[in-house]
Amino acid sequence: MLESLQYIYTPQIVNGLSIGVAVILMALGLTIIFGLLDVINMSHGEFYAAGAFISVSLMAMGISFWLCLFIVPILLIPIGFAMERLLIQKVFHYKDRHILTLLLTFGLAMVLEDGYKIIWGANPIKPSAPISGASELLGVMFPNYRLFLMGFGAVLIFAVWMLIYKTQLGAIVRAAAYDKDMSSSLGIPVMRVYALTFAFGVALAGLAGVLLAPIYSVFPTMGRDFILLAFSVVIVGGLGSIKGAVIAGLLLTQLQSLSSLYISPVWSDPLVFTVMVLVLMFKPSGLYGGMKNA
Amino acid sequence: MLNPQAKAIRCIEWLLLFSSLILFVVGTVLGDTFFLRLATEALIFGGLAMSVDLLLGIVGLLSLGQALYFGFGAYLSALVLKQIAPSFSLAIGIVVLCSTLLGWVASFIALRSKGVYFALITFGLAQVAAKVVYNTRSLGASDGMMGVPILSIWTPFGLLDTANPGTFFIITLLTIGALYAVLKYFLTTPMGSLWHAIRSNEDRLAYVGFKSKGPKQVAFVLATVVAAVSGALYPMLRGFVSPELMFFSVSGNAVVTVVLGGVGTLIGPIMGSVLLTSFKSIIGTWTAHHHIVIGLIFVVIVISAPKGLAGLLTKYFGKGGSNE
Repeated sequence: MLESLQYIYTPQIVNGLSIGVAVILMALGLTIIFGLLDVINMSHGEFYAAGAFISVSLMAMGISFWLCLFIVPILLIPIGFAMERLLIQKVFHYKDRHILTLLLTFGLAMVLEDGYKIIWGANPIKPSAPISGASELLGVMFPNYRLFLMGFGAVLIFAVWMLIYKTQLGAIVRAAAYDKDMSSSLGIPVMRVYALTFAFGVALAGLAGVLLAPIYSVFPTMGRDFILLAFSVVIVGGLGSIKGAVIAGLLLTQLQSLSSLYISPVWSDPLVFTVMVLVLMFKPSGLYGGMKNA
Repeated sequence: MLNPQAKAIRCIEWLLLFSSLILFVVGTVLGDTFFLRLATEALIFGGLAMSVDLLLGIVGLLSLGQALYFGFGAYLSALVLKQIAPSFSLAIGIVVLCSTLLGWVASFIALRSKGVYFALITFGLAQVAAKVVYNTRSLGASDGMMGVPILSIWTPFGLLDTANPGTFFIITLLTIGALYAVLKYFLTTPMGSLWHAIRSNEDRLAYVGFKSKGPKQVAFVLATVVAAVSGALYPMLRGFVSPELMFFSVSGNAVVTVVLGGVGTLIGPIMGSVLLTSFKSIIGTWTAHHHIVIGLIFVVIVISAPKGLAGLLTKYFGKGGSNE
């Protein structure tokens, strides 16, 4: 009993956790963008891929992985800012804004994905892990990089939470989400806040891409597969809820990784989506309400 | 008396019929099966887009998982043709029956939510189904099913068979035309008015004494049947089905088609499909990266003409009409 816990369950749980933090980083971006702008960003997965591709190119130029962790999000912020300003704000005032922004970001995703194929080619690129070796934990060996990923991701998630709920900047963002007109009459540049928040969410997705690139290969459609999981996390957690995204992210990735002990891994995706559909059926707003209701 | 908008739509309908007939004649004259098959495929995916438009444009529900029902129809039709009997009417009949049932069951799940949540739940349902089909050995798993037999179909024009691209084009045109006629008829009934009312203001419907649940369910089931019947034609054209038919890209493409052709017009989606399919094959001859071009067009259309091409045409013709 104890042995199976040690050698079978622990490795699965740790693997699930290391994917979990990356998924939560993606989901945080999605949920912040939805909570604030009411935009379902269908191109979020492509920004995750952008992070991975840019880091691969930077590393090929000789820049170290650790620098990439800072450079890539900083590079993505102006890109995200420009996209929000030039594209999304164009359809922001229509009555069908939900649907139009969803369609717009969907088109954007198509363009980006094909763009990656042109720039980087369709073949997968596999960067080498920046930390090699493995350490013993609870008598089981774990790759060091995955341990780093868990720690770094947890710190980041905590930092984002602090930023939104404990700083003045976060208060401004929440105020802009809660009441656009009132905030703007109080002197908050609401439209700029929106664009910056979108850029921030996009940068988080890019960071997740940098972090996961050494574990998975980098290829143009990588965003599409990963975004489905991130969407399920956001939906189960409740669109716009940060707490929900963290809890649902941990639950769903554990479900995925533990279920693969009993059923073929190819069935773990349908399982996750079934949970998502069940949650939507019985509690359409997810486990926790939106950021606006907080 | 027709109002200018109705006149414009009538104009577009004739244009479409005219352009598909031209394609048909050109294809037959050149003896080029490629164009005929392409035109047929455009009509089939036009049927799928029409079902997306019924939900999005008429009732105001964005479905991101309509490929589920399209793929369901395609797989069911392939199974019937291969396992039971190579009969067109049997395949279509079974697909209509089963998709009505499927749509009815799915409507209970999907219609519990509204707006963005409806979009996401349809997306989720389709993902589950696509993954299940992709992993099921007996349905051919990732390879799909091949070897769907050639059919002879009895029509008013005599016995037509699916191996002849020209005659199968006519069969497809008749089938999609029938679906269009059915939907068009529904729009003239009180049910159609309720759909429009739901789109403009669902909450207010209750104040005038109508429930929105029933009409939404009817629309959902109808859309399912339209998508499934369009899907049922696919294996007859290509001789195979693959799980790719159920993937998100197919649903997404259908939404793109609707937006390109015009939301809420029913004929727009078919026009959009003809345009998009021909466009894809033209760009496909220049570059493998046709998605980038289509994505760009899509972004531009969403921003500049949210009502799509039919919307632009209606505006143009509508203005002309009011000057008369």
